[in-house]
Amino acid sequence: MKYLKYVDVVQSMFPDQPPYQWTVNASAPWTPIVKPLAESAVAMISSSGVYRKDQVPFKPDKNDLSFREIPADTATGDLAISHDYYDHRDAEQDVNCVFPIERLRELAAEGFIGGLTPFHLTFMGRVFRKTQFLDEMIPAMLARIEAMKADLVLLVPA
Amino acid sequence: MGLIARALEEKGIPTVSLSSAYDLTTLVKPPRTFFVNYPLGHTSGKPFDRANQTAILKDALGGAAGIAAPGAIVTLPYAWDDPFWLAGA
Repeated sequence: MKYLKYVDVVQSMFPDQPPYQWTVNASAPWTPIVKPLAESAVAMISSSGVYRKDQVPFKPDKNDLSFREIPADTATGDLAISHDYYDHRDAEQDVNCVFPIERLRELAAEGFIGGLTPFHLTFMGRVFRKTQFLDEMIPAMLARIEAMKADLVLLVPA
Repeated sequence: MGLIARALEEKGIPTVSLSSAYDLTTLVKPPRTFFVNYPLGHTSGKPFDRANQTAILKDALGGAAGIAAPGAIVTLPYAWDDPFWLAGA
């Protein structure tokens, strides 16, 4: 299979910088999926930089450690994208490319999934402050996901 | 994003990830990943292609429980329309 090697792509974008230290894990943590999908409340987390137009946009360059809560019933016309480091021209026209909220609503309506949590979470990637990301931002997002009693979380990077 | 998936699973909440960056996903190892070989900005499907977007979500959400090995990456069978986008890969 042919695919782009983003380790190389990122390095070529910043030739004067030392190589980015990607996290390397030897194994993955695991929680079994026991609840049937048709009974599961699904939450989505997207690093697309999508926000609701009445919310504060993300800092589009880097190190924005905030996240937005997007109500599950938000109309796609009320969403916008603030992110300078991926080509979101298509997603500007159809946000479902990176934040498939309309498709998830349809899957809930047809009973493929049990439902959606009241909010989905979005943030802007390119966070280079790993300690703050791990110790502050991730726990804050987890707390919201736990409070909404999500049975399964769908992660959509952009 | 993989770090968030890992943190959720450590807390007892199951996850399923989409990815369009195979190499990065291999390094970070989220618990369950479905690989969409599209240019960044289209991880959950082609614009205005409802069938494609729905298929990706159904594959990932519906296939999540069938993954038995932590860290597995399942490649989805969808190709980007421009065959030359991977010419430099």
